[in-house]
Amino acid sequence: MAASEIVLAGAADRDLTQIDAYREVGGYATLDRARGMGPQAVLDELLTADIKGRGGAGFPMGRKASFIPKPGQNPNPTYLTVNADESEPGTFKDREIMLRVPHRLIEGCLITAHAIGSRNVFIYIRGEYLREFEIIRAALEQAHGAGLMGDVTIVLHRGAGAYICGEETALLESLEGERGQPRTKPPFPAIAGLYASPTLINNVETIATVPAIVEHGGAWYADQGTEGSRGTRVFSLSGNVRRGGNYELELGTTLRDLIYHHGGGLPGSRRIKAIIPGGSSVPVLTADDIDTPLTFEAMADKGTFLGSGAVIVIDDRCCMVQLGLRVAQFYMHESCGKCTPCREGTRWMVQILRKIEDGRAEQAELDLLLDVCDRILGKCLCPLGDAAAMPIASYVDKFRAEFQAHIDAGGCPYKGESSLERVFAPVDQHTHHPTVEVPA
Amino acid sequence: MPELVTLTIDDREVQVPKGTGLVETAMGAGIEIPVFCYEPRLGPAVGACRMCLVEIEGMPKLQAGCTMTAQDGLVVRTAATSDKAAQGQNATLEFLLLNHPLDCPVCDKGGECPLQDLTFRYGPGTTRMVFPKRTFDKPIPISPTIALDRERCILCYRCTRFSEGVAEDHQLVPRNRGAQTLITTFEEEPYRAPFSGNVIELCPVGALTSTQYRFEARPWEIQNVPTVCTMCPVGCNVTVTTREGKVKRILSRNHPEVDQGWLCDKGRFAFSHLRAEDRVTQPLRRVRRRGFATISWEEALDETERVLRGAGGRIVTALSGSETIEHAYGLAKLLRTGLGAHSAVLPEETDVAIDAFRLPLSAIRGAELIVVVGDDPVAERAPVVDLWLKLARRGGAEVVTIGAAGSVLTAPGSAAQTCRELAGSGSELGRRLRESERAILIWSSPGGHGGAEIAALAGELGFAGKPGSGAFHLPATPNGRGVADAWAAASDDEGPNPEPIAVLVVSGDEAASDPHVRALAERAETVIAIVMFERVALGWADLVLPGTSYLERDGTAMNLEGRLQRLRRAAIPPVADELSWLSQLAARFGVDVSPYPAPVFEELAGTVYGGLTLGELGERAALAERAQIPAPAPDPDTEPARPSDGHYLNLLPYRPLFAGAAVERVPELQFQRPAAEVELSWDDAQRRGISSGDEVLVRSNGTSATLRARLNRRLLPGVVRIADEHARDLHATVEVTKP
Repeated sequence: MAASEIVLAGAADRDLTQIDAYREVGGYATLDRARGMGPQAVLDELLTADIKGRGGAGFPMGRKASFIPKPGQNPNPTYLTVNADESEPGTFKDREIMLRVPHRLIEGCLITAHAIGSRNVFIYIRGEYLREFEIIRAALEQAHGAGLMGDVTIVLHRGAGAYICGEETALLESLEGERGQPRTKPPFPAIAGLYASPTLINNVETIATVPAIVEHGGAWYADQGTEGSRGTRVFSLSGNVRRGGNYELELGTTLRDLIYHHGGGLPGSRRIKAIIPGGSSVPVLTADDIDTPLTFEAMADKGTFLGSGAVIVIDDRCCMVQLGLRVAQFYMHESCGKCTPCREGTRWMVQILRKIEDGRAEQAELDLLLDVCDRILGKCLCPLGDAAAMPIASYVDKFRAEFQAHIDAGGCPYKGESSLERVFAPVDQHTHHPTVEVPA
Repeated sequence: MPELVTLTIDDREVQVPKGTGLVETAMGAGIEIPVFCYEPRLGPAVGACRMCLVEIEGMPKLQAGCTMTAQDGLVVRTAATSDKAAQGQNATLEFLLLNHPLDCPVCDKGGECPLQDLTFRYGPGTTRMVFPKRTFDKPIPISPTIALDRERCILCYRCTRFSEGVAEDHQLVPRNRGAQTLITTFEEEPYRAPFSGNVIELCPVGALTSTQYRFEARPWEIQNVPTVCTMCPVGCNVTVTTREGKVKRILSRNHPEVDQGWLCDKGRFAFSHLRAEDRVTQPLRRVRRRGFATISWEEALDETERVLRGAGGRIVTALSGSETIEHAYGLAKLLRTGLGAHSAVLPEETDVAIDAFRLPLSAIRGAELIVVVGDDPVAERAPVVDLWLKLARRGGAEVVTIGAAGSVLTAPGSAAQTCRELAGSGSELGRRLRESERAILIWSSPGGHGGAEIAALAGELGFAGKPGSGAFHLPATPNGRGVADAWAAASDDEGPNPEPIAVLVVSGDEAASDPHVRALAERAETVIAIVMFERVALGWADLVLPGTSYLERDGTAMNLEGRLQRLRRAAIPPVADELSWLSQLAARFGVDVSPYPAPVFEELAGTVYGGLTLGELGERAALAERAQIPAPAPDPDTEPARPSDGHYLNLLPYRPLFAGAAVERVPELQFQRPAAEVELSWDDAQRRGISSGDEVLVRSNGTSATLRARLNRRLLPGVVRIADEHARDLHATVEVTKP
């Protein structure tokens, strides 16, 4: 397994939060090399590597970077923004990367900044990630001390507890000091992003992969994984498995491999009921899909997404209506309120789901729920509305009998025995996290 | 000529300049793309409400039409030809109506509500929502003039975008997130800003309503009269809503060159002065020492005739500058041709020289460099001009204000000197003004010889040959120029200033409130006042003839651009209007004055406005071409500014926007009036140990006032600003101390 590690490579037996240890495994050597190469040459390696964005949307990183205007094409400065606002329920890979290989992220920032001609990098880090923030800050100080920054400034900015700020344009608004709400696109950030200037936004994992790509070459990277899904990914495995955690695996590994081989399977005699393959916002898979490879293309074939790489295993004790309610509550709570379908629709979905769970729903309301999902889907300003509608619609679609049973029986068939234990936290835990203060 | 593109909307081929908004493109072809949040005057489209969803060929998802522009080959389908788009729009309306109360029958907006209208056209006929609706406390008075109903709010963010991005007052904000989002004022303070009322008109539902208009009328029982506001020299175009002859509200009426559809709160809310409790509705005669007795019109005209005849021509007339041109002309014709009374206290003059640099106010938006000269904030003299300046600044223009509280600080009263310096060869700013093709000068101060100073500067900077560069003078009165024109048109004769004054004729409440006119009245044997409000004339006028308001008059007025605009009578005045009795009075002196404004205008337009007709003015008057007038020579003896010696401070009194006899009579506007405070520079406050909010004693030789201190960090040290109504008896230099 360690052989397949790229992003987390070397972190198993060394404390790579220390710059010296990171240098011992070859850290920052690639930065020097990259700076010796022309920006276009670096960009070409990224294009050859054909790495798709690790944040969730899966847009090819090299292509996105090449949309950034070349020096002289745009009078404004160019910015690199790293999205470290990891908030998708079930996803905890970026925090692992920041905790264990912060210097790889910083090196990735500096190489990418060089490739796009940027002197200003912003890392927007989720507000609740206090430890991660401190580790990155310490690593940045070490990098400063080692004189690695060149003419680049890296600003570490903490979010204030809004899932929506992980959406790239809302992140930019928030970074500018505005209310964290998404912008309409176009213009895309590559043309008019932060402060209306060309901005490249990438996920932590994507940026942390850059040093390896430049070190070994894009072709080497593209050799791993499958044709549609190059390289490795850090999968966050959670839910009802024995050994949940982050596993960096070559893309193309099957769900079975991840869950049973790496994760040790389900505890006791429980059986898989459903698998969420890419974070709470993607349509669900069933036990029959266990041999699906973890690739963008295979997931698309199954009508779902690899998303943020968060695999959540749901066992047979789980009531799908309750799961739907928990997911819908999250999105209702996190809807920013800017566009109508998401703001109003998520709330309505919660109301209907609660009614179904309570056994008060009428037959027509099951179809109404699907219709509400359909009326949100594809009509919102940003993907949050879709992220709420897609999973709920898939739960009804694939577990309709269970929803029907709630209506027929006038209540939850699990009669209070259902368990959502370890399947992402209920929304009130999101609400009442204590305010964390940064020590001076 | 911009590049034309051809696109298809609902199977119809449309050709428009590239980049035209899709909503406008469709509208031009007679196709509706319905919107709520879209309002181009608020800045770039935000795509929030999702009402405008359309299907675009080649795109899998519905697109927000408002965020798109016309591109070659685009194939667009609206709800009319696309089931998908129709379903999307229907969905948006269903979502918007989920928690919207069904109180249309008692909602002020009902009958003129975009949500209602679009629901009829695109929405579901029934609801599938069976849960209790979201409720909020309501209505919330966000200010004495505006009530907020959060349940009706559809969160289109028009109001907050106006506050943040147009008026830049940053007071109205969204709070919370998602379905719990609500509109509120910052820190829940009252929304106190000069343009707050515009949010009522921007609101596409009944969430923001006018406290004056609440439950006053329904749209099917009102009449809307297009007229022009003459509360200030901008002359914003307005629509006056009346019900059963009474004015119920005033709305903006977009004149794209003058006001862009914005209106200040004074223009919007001050109309209730028409129903002031001390409104003069009958002629009055002074009895005993303080008090009036009503007299009949016959008595009043007899008395006026007797007084005027007995004056032997020793008559002085004081005009307000708020009269219509026709009214001023009628008065002038009577007094000048009938009685040989040529002596007048005219409102602040406007020099014709400014006409050589004439531009519409909308040209400010396109300028690259704007220099405002003078001590008065633009918003206080001509409020909507301030919005044009903000728009220009947001668009990248550089706005330099030079004055005692400007971005460049100069001593009070040195605007003319500033002009001289800008014209001089040593001025870098002057050089840039000279080189720019789109530069604008604005005089925002008293004095300046009616714009002659700024015109002289514009001439020296070579603006005459640059159609994109121009100059504006912000006068003190709404129609001073028109009134002066009318006075001049009545006679070419001149007469000496009479001494002693037998009769002082005071026209209008503004003149009657002017301390200089009051001083003149002390010296007059008899004072005849034509005013709306009894208290204004109480104690010093001998004979009071009832005045009317601009909302009750037909006629014309000329705004600060030199644009002649037409006023329409919206409400029937409670008394005969000025022209009707002037006509009768004039007849007694053998002078022919028509009782109707139209023939009066025809008569004077022949002499002063080149035979222009009322028909040519229309509902949205055009601006006359630039005049070819040689620029005047600058006034050589500009008064040097008085430097402060540190102990004594120079008092800069100012006339606030929310002031005057009309505003004083509107209860809802009292919160907008200036507090009894003195503005101090940071330096001066520091030196005296004064902080904002402290009570301080402002003293000058023999007079004093106790006022609250307010720090103004933009103010030049050595200067204090006090609203004139609070500075009344103070002299030009004052001491400020903590008691």
